[in-house]
Order: sequence, then structure tokens, then C-alpha cells
Amino acid sequence: MPNKYQLIREGALCQDEWIYSDEETALSEAPTIISLSRLKAEADVLRARNAKLGVQLLADGNGKTQLGEDVHELEPYLDMLSLVSIAFPTYRNGRGFSAARVLREQFNFDGEIRASGEVLHDQWAMMRRCGINAFELAPTVRLETFTEAMSELSDAYQPAADDQRGALWQRHK
Amino acid sequence: MYRYDEFDHQLVGERVKQFRGQVERRVSGELSEDAFKPLRLMNGVYLQLHAYMLRVAIPYGTLSSKQLRMQAHIARKYDRGYGHFTTRQNIQFNWPALNKIPDLLEELATVEMHAIQTSGNCIRNVTSDQYAAAIDGEVEDPRIISEIIRQWSTFHPEFTYLPRKFKIAVTGHDNDRAAIKLHDIGIVIKQNELGDVGYEIHVGGGQGRTPLIAKKMADFVPKAQLLAYLEAVMRVYNMLGRRDNSYKARIKIMVHETGEVEMRRLIEAEFAKIDASQMLAVPPAEIDRISAYFASPEFETLPASSDVLEAAKTRDADFARWVRANVVAHKQDGYAIVNISLKPIGGVPGDASDVQMEAVADLAERYSFDEIRVTHEQNLVLPHIRLHDLKTVYDALHAHDLATANLGLISDTIACPGLDYCNLANARSIPLAQEISERFADLDRQYDIGELKIKISGCINACGHHHVGHIGILGVDKKGTEFYQISLGGSADENASIGKITGRAFTEETIVDAIETVVTTYTDVREGGERFIDTYRRVGLDPFKERLYAE
Repeated sequence: MPNKYQLIREGALCQDEWIYSDEETALSEAPTIISLSRLKAEADVLRARNAKLGVQLLADGNGKTQLGEDVHELEPYLDMLSLVSIAFPTYRNGRGFSAARVLREQFNFDGEIRASGEVLHDQWAMMRRCGINAFELAPTVRLETFTEAMSELSDAYQPAADDQRGALWQRHK
Repeated sequence: MYRYDEFDHQLVGERVKQFRGQVERRVSGELSEDAFKPLRLMNGVYLQLHAYMLRVAIPYGTLSSKQLRMQAHIARKYDRGYGHFTTRQNIQFNWPALNKIPDLLEELATVEMHAIQTSGNCIRNVTSDQYAAAIDGEVEDPRIISEIIRQWSTFHPEFTYLPRKFKIAVTGHDNDRAAIKLHDIGIVIKQNELGDVGYEIHVGGGQGRTPLIAKKMADFVPKAQLLAYLEAVMRVYNMLGRRDNSYKARIKIMVHETGEVEMRRLIEAEFAKIDASQMLAVPPAEIDRISAYFASPEFETLPASSDVLEAAKTRDADFARWVRANVVAHKQDGYAIVNISLKPIGGVPGDASDVQMEAVADLAERYSFDEIRVTHEQNLVLPHIRLHDLKTVYDALHAHDLATANLGLISDTIACPGLDYCNLANARSIPLAQEISERFADLDRQYDIGELKIKISGCINACGHHHVGHIGILGVDKKGTEFYQISLGGSADENASIGKITGRAFTEETIVDAIETVVTTYTDVREGGERFIDTYRRVGLDPFKERLYAE
């Protein structure tokens, strides 16, 4: 379960209507984020539930390679999901950047993708370029700081999951 | 040479401004060293043993005279009057003050340079062949695709927090001078039967504590699909590369543990998805635009030999020796490629003073179409010198102690900064390189020994490339004393191989004698004009071991 955070979604500070659930508690009608293992185990029941569902992709598995969960496992459940929360266990672990792009570009997922865990100032804009549109940030972060960070680099060299085309292409529009 | 357009200028300018803010927050104490670390590492700033070190990117090792003059200026104004050229064709400054680094970067930006992609777990500055566009037999100037890769990889949003750093090298020639098989990705430019240009891709080479030669993953990736292919390799690595142990995190370990066949399957599956989107197919007009920057200089029509040169060689034996050792045939009649050794006898490998840099810049401007190259063996190159200007160029170099005639010889050593600068090192590298160079100072003896590459690393991270030295030397620490381990038979070229360790290590006092023993063993057993590496490949390790560990 994430610590106390403030949510910035699409660049605005907002009340988070989502709750994270554990493995057992019965789900209420509130929008709820569950684990991948629970999603897989209860998919049939969950499909019949008439409320918004999200899943959290954990980055840190227990195996020796610490790869964490595989975004490709979400593919059969995408129609049920309104949100994917990608956990960043430390800022150094950038695996979730790829997960976000696969969701947006290969699975055409158009729900919310949020970043949770240790995320640095410097990473917000890159995350947005990979398709992450919501951020769970420490309560001390000021919205202006976030907004400024988003515009520190005005353009990009390469295409990603956003609408910036990249210099190599843009020069020949 | 590639010139920035407004787009490049704007992004680099914004980056400097961003870093200035970060440094201000660090200096004011708002950011702790821990929080600042990832930010400075994205801007080429390392914290070394005694001070901050700044590494400046020299994309694919090409510099203009204006850019080299700026390095001289930086050395004088922000450092102690010298810079150090690295094994990745970059330059680093060992003594800048942190609060002055933003000013330094702002000055660098005025000559279209920066320190982006010189540190951190991102795609690092692309390296290439120092003889690009000057050597005969090249399929295509490798700097064209290197520049495209530079742009695609700069501030890549998905690949800036990889499991570990990631290095790409490109060659357009069968003789590999870029050590492509020792890179995370090595690219060889090829032409197929239809005359189309494409790329042979090698993945998973590297040195460090687990040296591995890259595996060939693709024979021919067509031009338009290269970035899609690279992005596929990167994504497979970013998703499946190990993050539990930084020594196991390079892609070479993944290729090794996953196996070549499965790795190829993973890459090709991802490649198919990315390629289908067409989003990374570079417009032909953009390839043309970038190619135009690397158009061949306007060479004069000259005879293939020069009487002026021949006469000068007859008059001046030292000059003749320098021509023999340091000058390489050019693709254009009447021109030559000049190597400037940064390995004077007893000097620090790769160091150049401000005055030396300015002297080289002047020569490049006047005689070499304004171009300088940096080599991964820590030397400089003037790529296009007229044969009849060679003596003038030599005299000017000689006046600045830049005419040591030892290219590829035993005193042309690669050495990492070692314990003199680096907080990872176990042992000193530079003083050892200096001692070896003094021991073999006699140039006639060096010519007799012939091509012999000594590479020295002060620790197992192998920044001095000891694994691929014909003679490799590794500094090890045993109970606080510096020891040196010898390996033989490594090579970084198209026949890349990893050296084999001879046996127990030598002390600081005995290592130079041991090197001498290796060399005399070679000269005793070689046949005809056989090079050291060929002799080693013929006779193996045993004759050397016997002599090294006799009695």
C-alpha cells in the first residue's frame, strides 16, 4: 500500500477517488486498485462487478533478477481496467517506463497510467512522454514545481507515447 | 561536420539552464548530495577522489578547431591547464569547481557541445572510427548514422534509467578501429548484393569484471529500420535486464544468461511490433540533410606521391620515423591521415595541455579542413593532411611535444586514470604507463618490437581495456599493497578476443621487468615479421608463463 501522497493528474492537483485494496478485503463500489495476482485469480467475478477497477504492477519481484511483474500479463484483462498504477521501487529502476509505453502504444490502453513510488523531479516529464498521466507525489511537492519541471525541455528528439514527433521527423513535416 | 540547427541549440540551452537550477539548489543546501547525484550524473559530473570531474561529450570523436580551442579555454579557466582524452573519445576535466560548472556548460554550448550522455545509466555518447571519411574502403561515413543515433538517443524518455549504462559504437570499415564487439551494441555498416546500405548488429559485448565478445544478432537491418531495431534491443533489455546486482546488469550478462537464440527471438518479436508502427523510420530527406554535413571535403587533385615529402624524409630521420609510425594512407591521392600521439615518453596517456590543444586546433584549421578526431586509444588525428604539408605539420607538432612517433607501439599505452584520480581504483595506472614508456623509450627498439598494445586498468572495472590489450595489466589490491596481474592475447579489432591471465600478480617493483620478460620472450620466439598478437596466437600462453615464473 503506498504511503500518503498527493495526486497530480493531467497536470492538476486532484482528489484521488481510487483506493488500494489488499488481497482479501471484499471490494466496495468505490474505484479500487488491486494486485495483478488478485486480478488473475478473481477475473471472472471482477468482470461482473459494476465499478471501476485498477491494477498495480509491482516492479520488484522476489526472484533473483528482481524483474517484477510483466506488463504483457495485463493484456487479457485490459477491457476491465480503467487504471494501471506502475510502481517505481527506486528512481534508478526505469523498467516502468517501458511498461507504460507498451500499454499506450501496443495495447492502446487509454485509461489512467499513474506512477507510484520513488519518482524524481527529473523523471516526471519523461514519464509523461511514455504515457504516464498521473503521479502520486510527496505532499511537499508544489504544483508550480511540477508544472515547471514539465516544461524545462520544450521539445524532443524522438517520438514516444505522446504527440511530440521528434526532431528527426519534425524538420520535414 | 554536423552543425546544430535551432532545435539542437534550444534543447542544449534549456538543459544548461535546468542544470544551473539544480546546482544552485545543491549549493544552497536545498538538495542533499544523495538527491543531487542522479541529476549531476545526467550531466556528466562525477564525484572523484579529490574533486568533481566533468566529462564532455565529443560525439563520434569529431571536433572542429573552434571546439578544440574551447577545450583549451576550459582547461585554462576552469581546470589546471589540461584535459584528458578518454577511451570513449570524450574529454574530461579533473578539477572544475561545482558552482562554476553551469558557466562552463554555457560556454561549451556556444560551440555546440555539452556533457549530456557522458554518465548515468542511459545510452551514452556514440563512438566511431577515427578514420571516418579519410580511409579507403569504407562503405559509408559512419558518422551519418552515428549522428542519427545521437539525436534519437538524446534525453530518450524510456531509456534514461536503464539497468546500467549502454554504449553503442559504429564502424563503416572491415578493419574495426571502434572496438564494436566490445560494446553493448556494435554496428557494422554493410552493403548487400543489391547495393543497399544496411547494418550488421552485434549485441552484448563489454569488458568490466565479466569480459564478453558481442554476439551477432542481425546480418542486415535495412537503413530505414535501424532505429526501430535499436529501440527493440533497448526495450527488451530495459524490461528483462537484471537490476539486482550492478555487476550483472549490463546487457552482455543478459545475452549470456538468456542465450543468443532466445535473445534474438525476443529482439525480433519486439522489432516486428515497433517496425509495424513506422514511427521510427527516419524520413529520407532528413538522412540527406544530415549526410550533407558529412560531405567529402573539397580535396585537390594531387599526385599520389610528393617530392617535397620524400626530400624531407631523406633530410630528417626523425621525421621519416614519425611518418612511418604515425601517418596512415588516405583514400585521396596526395593526402594522408596524421595520428598525433598523446603518449610522449614518460607522459600521462591521453593528457593534453591548453597550449597543445590550441596548437592542434591551429593545424587542423590550416591544413586539415578544420577537423580533428579523438581516438579510443586516447590519441588525436588530423584526418586530411596534404603529403607536401606533412613536414610543416610535423615541425609544429614537434615544437609542442606532440610528435612522438609511437602509434600502435609498446609505449602507445591505454591507461585508466587509476588511483591518482579514481575512487574505485585499487592501484595506480598512470605511473606504471609512464615507467613502461620510459623502459622502452628507445624508438628503434620499439620499431623492432612492432605493433604491441599495452592496456592498463587500475581495477576490475576495466576502464583501461586491459582485457583486450595484447598485453593487459590489471591493478589489484592485496592487503593494502598494489599488485599487477598480466594477461596476454587480447584484441579489440575485428578479430576481437579476451586476454588470458598469465598467473600470479607482480609487485610494483617487478611488474616492469615482467613486461620486459614478455617482450623478450616474444622477440625470441617470433617468426619473420610476425606481430606480437600473431605470435601469441601461434604459440599460446605457455612459453610466456615459463619465462615469467621461472625459478
